[in-house]
Amino acid sequence: MTEHVKQFLALMKSRAYRDRRVDNVGYDVTELVNQTHCMLREATILEDTLTKETTNLPEGDIFGFNRTLIHLPYYTKENGKTACLLGQNVTPNYARVIGMGFDALLCEIDGYAEVCDDEEKRLFYEGMRRQVLATLRIADRYREAAEAEGNTRLAAALSRVPRLPAESFYEACVFFKFLIYTLRLARHGQMTLGRFDQYMYPYYERDLALGVSREELFETLELLFISLNLDADIYTGLQTGDNGQSMVLGGFDKNGKDQFNDLSRLCIDASLELTLIDPKINLRVSKKTPDWIYELGTKLTKQGLGFPQYCNDDVIVPYMISLGYDEEDACNYTVAACWEVISPNNGADVPNATTFSFPMAVHLALHSCLLSAKSFEELMAAVKEEIRKECERIRATVVHRPFPKASYLSLFVDGCLEKGRDCFCGGAKYHNLGSHGAGISTAADSLAAVKRMVFEEKRVSAEELLRALEANFEGYEALRGSLAACPKMGNNDDFVDTIAHELMTAFEDHLHGKPTLTDDGIWRAGTGSALEYIRTARKCPATPDGRYAYAPFACSFSPVIGARLNGPLSVLQSFTKHDLGRISNGGPLTMELHDTVFRNEEGEKKVAQLVKTFIHMGGHQLQLNAINRDRLLDAKAHPEEYPNLIVRVWGWSGYFSELDPVYQDHIISRTAYTV
Amino acid sequence: MQTGRIFSIEEFSTYDGPGIRMTVFLKGCPLRCSWCHNPEGQRGQIEIVRSPNDCLACGACLREGAKKTGAPCLVPESVAVCPRSLVRLCGEDVSVEQLVRIIEKNTAILNASGGGVTFSGGEPLLWADFLVDCFAALDGKTHRALQTCGYADADTFLRVLAHCDLVLFDLKQMDDEMHRRYTGVSNAPILENYRALAASDKPFLTRIPLIPTVNDTRENIEATARFMKECGADYVELLPYNTMAGGKYRMLGREYEPRFDGSILPDPHKEIWKNYGIEVTIL
Repeated sequence: MTEHVKQFLALMKSRAYRDRRVDNVGYDVTELVNQTHCMLREATILEDTLTKETTNLPEGDIFGFNRTLIHLPYYTKENGKTACLLGQNVTPNYARVIGMGFDALLCEIDGYAEVCDDEEKRLFYEGMRRQVLATLRIADRYREAAEAEGNTRLAAALSRVPRLPAESFYEACVFFKFLIYTLRLARHGQMTLGRFDQYMYPYYERDLALGVSREELFETLELLFISLNLDADIYTGLQTGDNGQSMVLGGFDKNGKDQFNDLSRLCIDASLELTLIDPKINLRVSKKTPDWIYELGTKLTKQGLGFPQYCNDDVIVPYMISLGYDEEDACNYTVAACWEVISPNNGADVPNATTFSFPMAVHLALHSCLLSAKSFEELMAAVKEEIRKECERIRATVVHRPFPKASYLSLFVDGCLEKGRDCFCGGAKYHNLGSHGAGISTAADSLAAVKRMVFEEKRVSAEELLRALEANFEGYEALRGSLAACPKMGNNDDFVDTIAHELMTAFEDHLHGKPTLTDDGIWRAGTGSALEYIRTARKCPATPDGRYAYAPFACSFSPVIGARLNGPLSVLQSFTKHDLGRISNGGPLTMELHDTVFRNEEGEKKVAQLVKTFIHMGGHQLQLNAINRDRLLDAKAHPEEYPNLIVRVWGWSGYFSELDPVYQDHIISRTAYTV
Repeated sequence: MQTGRIFSIEEFSTYDGPGIRMTVFLKGCPLRCSWCHNPEGQRGQIEIVRSPNDCLACGACLREGAKKTGAPCLVPESVAVCPRSLVRLCGEDVSVEQLVRIIEKNTAILNASGGGVTFSGGEPLLWADFLVDCFAALDGKTHRALQTCGYADADTFLRVLAHCDLVLFDLKQMDDEMHRRYTGVSNAPILENYRALAASDKPFLTRIPLIPTVNDTRENIEATARFMKECGADYVELLPYNTMAGGKYRMLGREYEPRFDGSILPDPHKEIWKNYGIEVTIL
């Protein structure tokens, strides 16, 4: 770590740069919006926001573009609802615009505007033009500030970018930071960083050829990574840290060539050295991935940041192709803020449009059919019927999102300018919707317990079981204990894994690839939960696996919390038995490994082998956490002593001390069963 | 068919031999090491254990005992009534066939990483007949290791030795009196078995749990290195004492009372090993 990096890191951690922020709480633009044509609304708001922004260029910062307005603008719609954040979970085409510059982008907009004869499209182009000009003005102000403060390096870069194409790795990084900053100010939350190692590689390679040293480029990269953390606290999603700054490294092209390059390596090295929350690293791997990449990834896991998350190209690429994505786009996939797979540059999917709750389907079927069911098969049929009904309901939902008519984001999504349409309103190539499938382990375990206790061993009657569930097991403690001792998903036990397989198959049959109601898209089924493992679970009464009413499900695609597990080998086998080829919208198997496992290099190598095993067995996504329960308990009691303790929450990592207690408790309870 | 009493099977043990390993822990041990971190492996009989973590102190488990015996205590029926599933039976009798079936579910993964299965404890040699049958049944299926304290009669040791692929052998203390004081038994049979192991052509690893003030003294390290050298061994793995060792005693309703100061960092004396030409790995 160079002196420059050390100092900038210290500045970031001191938070001193935040002094220049303005607490603009109540930034209401309703009046402005009401006076503006809906096609020009976004341009008008962005112009207003950028006028209110001031420059913030702390010492040692070679990128700038740090937000000073703490709050983003909002307005009240006619229906009385408040609108703030716009469409999210998109990976913009950074490469294209960094390679062409905003001047050329303006020419392109003007070219399309000249030949268009449609009034709405003309307004679309006018809005686009005004947004480009507004962001160029803030870039100019940053150039002036850099000159005034003697920051010659940044001033020189800003005399070219973002107007002209970047010519060096550094200029490309400045352009990149400018894009992230302006996209956030344009109220696009959770814009992901995409395949940074791929689209930045040409600049990196060119610099090397021109004699710039690898060390110098590494320093630039580290400074950029630090700079991505400066505003992370105000780039919040649902919890601090849930900000979408996910980066995808590696991956295989359509000829099966590994695209993990030297820049991918540097990104991991930077993350290892800095141990910061952003960017969150995702590693694309396949059967062809060499061991050393897994070993490098394991070193990162050991840092306790909760990443990398692994994505298996062998499963995900064919999955996307089967859903109608072009092969090239499928091979180019990235992940959204957490783990939902998306097509970068040209897609505007909403992969987390809705959540399907497996345990609710079981709950409903138990109440409609358990008393009359003559066999377990009859009960299973009722569960599948509930799954079908819920999928039908999902397919009939119109996904209401605050989709703008002409958003800044559309400048960077292929096809929008040609078509004169916003990316979320027909401009993008893909408009698919995804549904999480939450609580599969709770549902499968519940049915396994009913099968064994009610139908096979007849140790409890249907009536009594329903009474026990109704009473939330109060007065039925022994019964709950017996239910908890039934086979659990995660123990490589066909008795329950077969049930899970049937449930997932039913979910896929009724959702995978089905047309959506409002868009020209299709539905994608997944194994994720996002925050729904807590939110949806709060609506779900007690379940026959022994789970109390409203207690959380497992996070994404994982064994039930509290299930007594044989260990990681059984977990991997249980969770790869079902062919994941139709249920890969996103949602990783999550496993906690005690941090002592990583004690030395030998232990690290074995963890790497474990990850490799999962990929070779056909797992789709995996996320490992290195956890020390005592440290977490202490951190909960003394948050002031652990300001930098980072943990994985669902699809993202966050500072433990800043998490809502319910999430802290969930993470602690996960560790009680560290395998 | 032989049966063995198991108190745990770990599927991903990283420090019990090469590759990814499953480790089978057999119950019962002739030693009572003051630093033992697996106290549930010491007694041969099946025990009822209760994890203190997250206990609601609802008393349901003790009431089961009261119903049965008249006094609040843990009984097998307590297992089912714990609302958090914190009470369990520690120790289960399994047949060779059952155990081999469990292991075989994982052999593909174990073998892919150059790993295998390790029998540990407690002291697995207490279950010699069972071990021999298990090893024989696993012959050609996966790599088989034995982790032992070495305390057994020579015939038993050699009989089991013949059926495994690797031995992980603990050398705890060279001074017999110190050995008796901290483990409860003499080290004479241990040293005899170690000599026999070193003289055989069986691959083995020497391991020393490094306990501050007990066996990390200059004298003991010197004596151990000399002994190993005499036997022709040139590699040792040191496992420094970990303060987490006491973690499981409360689960058994026992107090952890080590007779040494666990807060001191043990000294591996790397220079002594080097003088004897013995390569050291610290785990």
